[in-house]
Amino acid sequence: MNQTNFSVWLKLLWLFLKVNLLSPSGPASIGLLYKEAVGTIMTEDQFVEAVGFSNVLPGSEALKLAMFVGFAAGGVPGVFTALLGAILPPTLMMLVVSAVLQQFQEEHWLKGFVAGMSPAVAALIIVVAWELFRVGQTKIIGRRTFIIAALSVTALWFDLPSPLVLLGAGILGVILFR
Amino acid sequence: MRDRLKIVDILTQLFWTFLKVNLLSTSGPTSVGLLYHEAVGKLVTEAQFIQAVGLSSVLPGSDALQLAMYIGYAAGGISGGFVSLTASILPPTIIILGVTMILHRLRRESWVSNFVQGLAPAISILMVFTAWKIFDKGSGDTGWFGWLLGIASLLAMWFKLPERIVIILAGMIGVIFLSQ
Repeated sequence: MNQTNFSVWLKLLWLFLKVNLLSPSGPASIGLLYKEAVGTIMTEDQFVEAVGFSNVLPGSEALKLAMFVGFAAGGVPGVFTALLGAILPPTLMMLVVSAVLQQFQEEHWLKGFVAGMSPAVAALIIVVAWELFRVGQTKIIGRRTFIIAALSVTALWFDLPSPLVLLGAGILGVILFR
Repeated sequence: MRDRLKIVDILTQLFWTFLKVNLLSTSGPTSVGLLYHEAVGKLVTEAQFIQAVGLSSVLPGSDALQLAMYIGYAAGGISGGFVSLTASILPPTIIILGVTMILHRLRRESWVSNFVQGLAPAISILMVFTAWKIFDKGSGDTGWFGWLLGIASLLAMWFKLPERIVIILAGMIGVIFLSQ
């Protein structure tokens, strides 16, 4: 019994190491994970449910998805195995990159790189913001979404602290979307 | 930075920042807006933040964790990186462990998903504000060249060119034309 448990954990660890090395972010990993996990570890229904929950609950999307798949395959130990596999590749890579880059903060080429990258980063943020705004909107909730958006613009314009604005928006969501 | 008390201060601040950010947003890119307000000027510089966002979308793997690692490392060295990482992992882990155990109860209580639905428009607006600040401070003094680069990037991403390629290209154009 212990032998089979161990092989399940090993398979999970390997699966998430692979998925997180090959995909750039949470949403992008869904497709890859689908191919690897559905049929072998969990049913299609379970997978769809996991994706739904990952979108709805706070925190990093990729991690939540990993933990759901891990739970389906191996219970609570599976959750932690999947978590480990999902955390290791991106963070170790980033640790190396940040350690290297901190040595070059005053270099001219890095300043040029940042100056060139910032319009692209701003564009990326706008694109993601637009997708987030549009996702799952029907005409009925459209007006309520619009109210929250308008209130947020006003609040942020007057420099209200952003965590407060978000918290308020969430509470408004609970009241309005009921 | 050599002062021990100060390092403890930085680590505590990193921990709370990432705990808060990961409780109020659902994925890496959407946390950028909130993180900007919490971290820039206090923990890292504008340039470091832009590097963090740019590189986390270029490297494979979870954006949220990479942001945490980069900003944590820039602010407080290796220990900063791991403190930020822990704070980012805690909220989703606890929530998922809770959900998998009381899954069926939670599904009926739709207020959680309503809360997140209410968050979404506010997060998008916050992101637009942040995008403007990043653009303005990161490349505002480059004038029309920055605008050109921004609009070109927006168009490229609109037509589904992979983000990481757009960001790397823009950075390289910056190295060539904007390094003084």
